[in-house]
Amino acid sequence: MEDYKYLFKIVLIGEAGVGKTCLVRRFTQGLFPPGQAATIGVDFMIKTVEIEGDKVKLQIWDTAGQEKFRSITQSYYRAAHGLILVYDVCSQRTFDALPQWLTDIDSFANEKVLSYLVGNKIDRGDAREIPTHVGEQFAERYEMKYIETSAKEADNVDKLFLDIASRLTEDARERNRLIPGEDSMNISSNTKSISSCSRCFKF
Amino acid sequence: MDLERVQNLTDVSEMQKALEKLNAEEIDVDCELNTLLETQASLEDKMITLHRTLPNLQMLHTDSKQLSSMVSFTSTLAENVSSKVRQLDLAKNRVTSCIQRVEDILDLKYCTDGVQQALQNEDYEKAAGHVHRFRSLDENVLRMSEIASEGSSLDTSFRLLHESEDKLRVIVNTKFDASVHSRDVASIERFFKIFPMLGLYEEGLTKFGKYLAAKLSEDADRNLKLALHGIDPEDGRSSVIFADTITKLFEDIAKIVEIHQPLVETYYGAGRLVILVKILQKECDRQTRKLVEEFRNKRDFDLRVQQVQQSLMFHKQPAIEKPDSKDLDVLLSEIVLLNTRTELYLRFLKRRITGDFELAYQDEEKRNEKSSEVDKFIQSCDTSRLMQELIGNYIMMEEYFMREMVLKAVAMDSLDTGSPTSSMVDDSFYIVKKCVRRAMSSSSVDGVCAMLNHACTILEQDFREVLYTRVRAGFPSGFDLTQAYNMVIQQGKSSDTEKAKAQFISTLNNAEVSCDYCKQLKTNLEDEVSKLYTQCSDQSNAKLESCLSDIGACATRFKDVVEFGFSQMTQSVIKPRIKPQIDIFLSTSHNISEDDYTNFEANDPWVQNFIVSLDNMLGSFKDSLTNNNYEMFVSLVTAEITTQLEKSVQKSAFNRLGGLQFDKELRVLVGYLTSVTTWTIRDKFARLTQMATILNLEKVDELLDYWGPNSGPLTWRLTPSEVRQILGLRIDFRTEEIKRLKL
Ligand SMILES: Nc1nc2c(ncn2[C@@H]2O[C@H](COP(=O)(O)OP(=O)(O)OP(=O)(O)O)[C@@H](O)[C@H]2O)c(=O)[nH]1
Ligand SMILES: [Mg+2]
Repeated sequence: MEDYKYLFKIVLIGEAGVGKTCLVRRFTQGLFPPGQAATIGVDFMIKTVEIEGDKVKLQIWDTAGQEKFRSITQSYYRAAHGLILVYDVCSQRTFDALPQWLTDIDSFANEKVLSYLVGNKIDRGDAREIPTHVGEQFAERYEMKYIETSAKEADNVDKLFLDIASRLTEDARERNRLIPGEDSMNISSNTKSISSCSRCFKF
Repeated sequence: MDLERVQNLTDVSEMQKALEKLNAEEIDVDCELNTLLETQASLEDKMITLHRTLPNLQMLHTDSKQLSSMVSFTSTLAENVSSKVRQLDLAKNRVTSCIQRVEDILDLKYCTDGVQQALQNEDYEKAAGHVHRFRSLDENVLRMSEIASEGSSLDTSFRLLHESEDKLRVIVNTKFDASVHSRDVASIERFFKIFPMLGLYEEGLTKFGKYLAAKLSEDADRNLKLALHGIDPEDGRSSVIFADTITKLFEDIAKIVEIHQPLVETYYGAGRLVILVKILQKECDRQTRKLVEEFRNKRDFDLRVQQVQQSLMFHKQPAIEKPDSKDLDVLLSEIVLLNTRTELYLRFLKRRITGDFELAYQDEEKRNEKSSEVDKFIQSCDTSRLMQELIGNYIMMEEYFMREMVLKAVAMDSLDTGSPTSSMVDDSFYIVKKCVRRAMSSSSVDGVCAMLNHACTILEQDFREVLYTRVRAGFPSGFDLTQAYNMVIQQGKSSDTEKAKAQFISTLNNAEVSCDYCKQLKTNLEDEVSKLYTQCSDQSNAKLESCLSDIGACATRFKDVVEFGFSQMTQSVIKPRIKPQIDIFLSTSHNISEDDYTNFEANDPWVQNFIVSLDNMLGSFKDSLTNNNYEMFVSLVTAEITTQLEKSVQKSAFNRLGGLQFDKELRVLVGYLTSVTTWTIRDKFARLTQMATILNLEKVDELLDYWGPNSGPLTWRLTPSEVRQILGLRIDFRTEEIKRLKL
């Protein structure tokens, strides 16, 4: 048995070049990779963090933004506990693409998924095209959490992942309290809710 | 203690205390003095020995002085000698380089004469050899060493050599082109080998590469034309003709690399193979693009992609023309073949280039840098890109195919005689396995992972949902299962309830075997992955492992369905069947006379009938349930019996013989249930058995023979208050006595 209490799958999505890979590498390896190449298919990294005394293992799936990989990357949505939708605050185009990404989330992800909207590259101050409040409003409208980051300057990157980890942990603890004993014979008649919770736990 | 304070003391008791203290101190001081005096003798001895060694020390002192002056003298001497040796060394080096230079100058003259001679004789190898030698000389240094003024012989040599070099370059270039033109393979190779001697590495490899690429292009064009001509549906290979053709292309390139790598490494040195490969790859990209384009045309690829996309988007509308599953099946198989051949080829290229770099660079860092350059080159070549696009579309269509086929299997579900499960389980798992295995044969790790994810979704969501809905419909109560089951199978016609019952049972079985199938699927696929994907990176292996483990985890989702189904059955079958039987127990007196007891021996009042009815019920399910489900059923029946019986016992009254009777009944019941299942029953009856023991006692205190320190191997499942309560059921036991018991 591995040494962790909870395991969560976190999937990063968003247009090509918005900085998904850089965010993940900043968080998992503590560096900003120079000349990061476009992701092919899906990359996979693991990091274990501690949330209020419990070891929490994060499985991070970094997907490619290029259109041709869509059918591959979409297959990861359903099992995700956390989804991070990233855009580039210096690129209106990546912001305008968000509705399409939300449609995809709606069609493929679990309805209880925890989703974050992330505006990245805030270090490029002058080049910014999307003001913070616009991103915030958008996130609010679609009931997502909002955070702005810079993978380059390590701004808010740890906060982003740790926030997700603690929210997911909190939810899992809550559910554990409601349904103690895994092999209880009473199954709620709502299938969707079972499918969304029993996958979260791995002891 | 100081004197002044003593003098000032006025109080007698204090004076006495001071006196005592002073006395004690005096004793201490005496002791110390004694010890010191004792050591005096040994100290004197030591002094004498020291005096004796003193002269020796003086001698030592003079000796060391002498030694030190000798050492410093030798050191100066050595210093002198070594500096001379150094001078000598320097001189020797200068002589050597002087000789070297003289040799160089002699060589230079020799080269100058030789190169002209060789050029005249059209011996280009020799001429190039001279130029190569000349190029290895350091012209600036040589020029310094002479009065290298204008017109000196050295200057003339240099001029001549430079001219010859230029001439040779032109000649080699033209001759090479001419040889290519006349398809003179021997000459082509001849001049190819001369380029590097003139330092024209890049140029030589580029020219040669272009020549090879042109040849490759001719062959590939011919092959593609042949393939397009020869699409003959009768031919067994016609469905994979494009895969076969691309394989030919890749094999041709591999052959070229194989043949020419030693040549390049010998004449151009290690680390330069990549120049040649890049040129060949450019041609390969061109050919692949053409081939893929033809493939899309001839196989109606884009149309199929579009159809699938539309069916996915508007799957509720029947008007949409769906792609034919059989055609899709064939198409999908060809795509994975195209991709796996490409992967194989690209891996070959990578291995070759990396091997060549490893010969060229010793430095670890440089190697890593080169290796990531190779990765980048391979991942971003057009051939890779084209395949990535194909695989992207493939995944979408494969998922669609898998879902369509599973839905079809569900729609065509049928129940066969002798099989506890219906056809949809085997069929669906067969399809899922087939599709994932096909993805595996594409050699694309991301493709496999994506299909594993989709397989999970189909099993956990679509397929499970069907089972769940059927189970939720519940098991109709008031049953005769054997009949229902037979009627469905034999006549295909039966009442709705009977159909519903048979479907419920088969669904329960389907869900139960699905658990196992998930685990099996995981193990099988895992085996296959470990065979097919041996040279993956750690990262790829981690991805595969994670996606595979999700497939295994689907099992628990089916277990939920089984458990839910059994909770339905408990309500609609088990409880209603057990209740009346237990009621009979309740209405049978356990306060009986000797005569009753004997009479019961012949005419059993309850348990025999109960067993007959149980046996009927269990028997009617035994054949229709899977083994595991049957065991589960028995276990639930047992649980129901024990709970209800416990309650009834607590409502009954017993005398000694009644207790004996109950004990007997219980043994028969446990014996029967044990005989129909392989799971343990006795444990479930532990509490009831203990109740029987209590009800069977002669006297109240006899209980203590079994309690506390006397309990032996017996672990009581009844609490002390429960024990008292059971004792209280015996009408012949007195309440005070029970109260008095120390438990
Ligand atoms: N200034 C700045 N540049 C960034 C930041 N994050 C990423 N970049 C740059 O943006 C480019 C793309 O980054 P990636 O992380 O590769 O983008 P991606 O979203 O993973 O792209 P795909 O893998 O193609 O989907 C790179 O050149 C990064 O150096 C950031 O926070 N600040
Ligand atoms: Mg990336």
